[in-house]
Amino acid sequence: MNRWIMAAAFAVLGSSSALADTTVRWLHITSVPEELALLEGAARTYESMNPGVTIETQFLENEAFKAKLTTLLQSPDAPDIFFSWGGGVLTEQAAAGVLRPIEDVVSQQTKDAIGTAGISAFSRDGHLYGIARDVGEVVLWYNKALFEKAGVDAASMSDWDGFVAGIEKFKAAGITPIAIGGKDKWPAHFWWAKMVVRLAGEEAFDKAASGEASFTDAPFVAAAQYLYDLGQIQPFQQGFEAATYNDASGMFGDGNAAMHLMGDWDYTVMKDSSADKKGFPDEDLGILPFPTVPGGLGDPTDTLGGLSGWLFSKNASDEAVKFMEWYNTDVALQQKFAEGAYYIPIAAGAADTMENPFKKQVAENINKAHWHALFFDQALGPDVGGVFNDMSAELAAGTISAEDAAAELQAAAEDAR
Amino acid sequence: MAAFRRRFGDPKSLAAVAILVTPALVLFVIFVLWPLFNAFLFSFYKWNGYGPLEQLVGVDNYADVVDHRAFPLALRNTVIIAIASLLIQLPLALWVALALYQKAWFVSIFRTIFFLPYMLGEVAAGLIWKFVYDGNYGLLPVVGDALHTDMPFLLADRFWVIPAIILVIVWKYFGFHMMIYIAGLQSIPNEVIEAARLDGVSKWKIMWFVKIPMLRSSIVISVFFAIVGSLQLFDIILPLTGGGPGNASHTLVSFLYYFGILRMKIGFGGAMSVILFVLCVGVTIIYRRLLFARADA
Repeated sequence: MNRWIMAAAFAVLGSSSALADTTVRWLHITSVPEELALLEGAARTYESMNPGVTIETQFLENEAFKAKLTTLLQSPDAPDIFFSWGGGVLTEQAAAGVLRPIEDVVSQQTKDAIGTAGISAFSRDGHLYGIARDVGEVVLWYNKALFEKAGVDAASMSDWDGFVAGIEKFKAAGITPIAIGGKDKWPAHFWWAKMVVRLAGEEAFDKAASGEASFTDAPFVAAAQYLYDLGQIQPFQQGFEAATYNDASGMFGDGNAAMHLMGDWDYTVMKDSSADKKGFPDEDLGILPFPTVPGGLGDPTDTLGGLSGWLFSKNASDEAVKFMEWYNTDVALQQKFAEGAYYIPIAAGAADTMENPFKKQVAENINKAHWHALFFDQALGPDVGGVFNDMSAELAAGTISAEDAAAELQAAAEDAR
Repeated sequence: MAAFRRRFGDPKSLAAVAILVTPALVLFVIFVLWPLFNAFLFSFYKWNGYGPLEQLVGVDNYADVVDHRAFPLALRNTVIIAIASLLIQLPLALWVALALYQKAWFVSIFRTIFFLPYMLGEVAAGLIWKFVYDGNYGLLPVVGDALHTDMPFLLADRFWVIPAIILVIVWKYFGFHMMIYIAGLQSIPNEVIEAARLDGVSKWKIMWFVKIPMLRSSIVISVFFAIVGSLQLFDIILPLTGGGPGNASHTLVSFLYYFGILRMKIGFGGAMSVILFVLCVGVTIIYRRLLFARADA
């Protein structure tokens, strides 16, 4: 009998001490070993600075994360903090009430450090739901050695006609002009999206996305037509429709394709996916300005890319929010991520010590941008964004006309409302 | 009471039955019937997976499925794969089974080799064959070089992608059907075959008129597995092609996964799964009527 009383007493003691402690569950999608070590290290540092707080990290692989998150957020096991690309998915989560609004907890200091772009990307209907972590941009990577070999002057490709003429030169020289991961479809969406950014601009895109205007309007169809026409001159590698993003990235990294339209993260991936894990030397790597087209409504400084961060589930504690404020605005910590070229931190001053010239250029582009357009497949949400990806892949393959692709997109947008 | 006994057996054994059946029944209800009912319910709603079901849309989801660009292709591919399984895979399995059903040490080595692909996970098999077919770094271009011809990029070709998938399916599953036939062949009494042989019946005729007719129930089972397996084909498609190029290699289930689940259109996915369920049940009922009944007789 005594034993039972003892056990009960211990149970009471145990639970009361558990009340004083807070456990924060943090779900991330980082798999790069060195980056992961930084992240885990940060959690331990925060624990030692804040006794009573335990940070429990959880990992899900990219695709598994997307597939499981919906169910996870509605279960009692929901993580307190989880990764987000923002966009339409965030809108749906906020509307469903599975997120915790954090504007009352977040300090003005944090808001200043993150900046207006980061704050507005994670705000919905007057509430702040997340803390931004990083920015990224889709750029046209090119291989200088192959340009030289084919006798193509990079400057001559600054407008669309020059770009097309350059592609023909590469083909004549027997070099694949552009690598693309057609199987994954989202790499193809960059081409149509970049054109929409150029031809339609921020206002027209926002109107079409919100239903005030239509995706079948002239600039969207014209943008689709550019991708269709590009596909018709066959600039992509043979069998591109079966190639994944990593296949295309490796092909570019191996020096087997002259250009690759991809996010700045590809800097590390192209090396990692190449046959020798090193890729070609940095002095041969360059970023080509995306070719200009006549008559665009977009601002020439506009960029396309990401602005990701962390969201908080409905039952997240204040501690979780405070931890993330520290994590994302501690300049010394975020500088380490920047120096490793894992991502470009959004926090003021964190990207200053970044030495990688490509990342520096991207950070500068985004800073100067009038409109930093979020990846369209994220901005439009999983359903309409998915159709945007499908249609982009079909346009590149020439299996749908520009008008029909725009009509399919508009139908999906109307259906989603 | 006597009537009850005749129908249901001893009440005491009924208790035993209840105890033994309950766990399985509970699992069946939780993991089969309940999701089935839910899918049916979801299929009449527009729902992204968050919050309560609110937007009742009637049969809109069903219309959306049937009108979808990729649906006719997915249906066509599923039918082609089912027919190819029946016409290529099963005769091959039968042929190999006839060659390998006798007991001998070298025979069991071959049997194991042919059965190995079946034991391999579907995703692993898909990834292996993706490598084999890869036009740049795969096995196929190596073979092409040896033959001094250019091999096509099979998985990027709207025509060749289906034959390429069929080859993987045949490679993966014919060993399973072979085993069913071997078991069937081994259960044929030796006396029957010996009697035929003593009567001077040729080997061919023994095969056609003795062995294959006596295999009837094995064939009925294997045809059933082949059809239902084709209707549910999914996990090989995912790593191999992801439904591409374009939508050229979607099956009904990969269509359901890509355009329903991944797009968070749960109602759309529900409608597709109800259609698939009706198809499977329909095929099963028709098949039972046509064949199982006669097999029993």
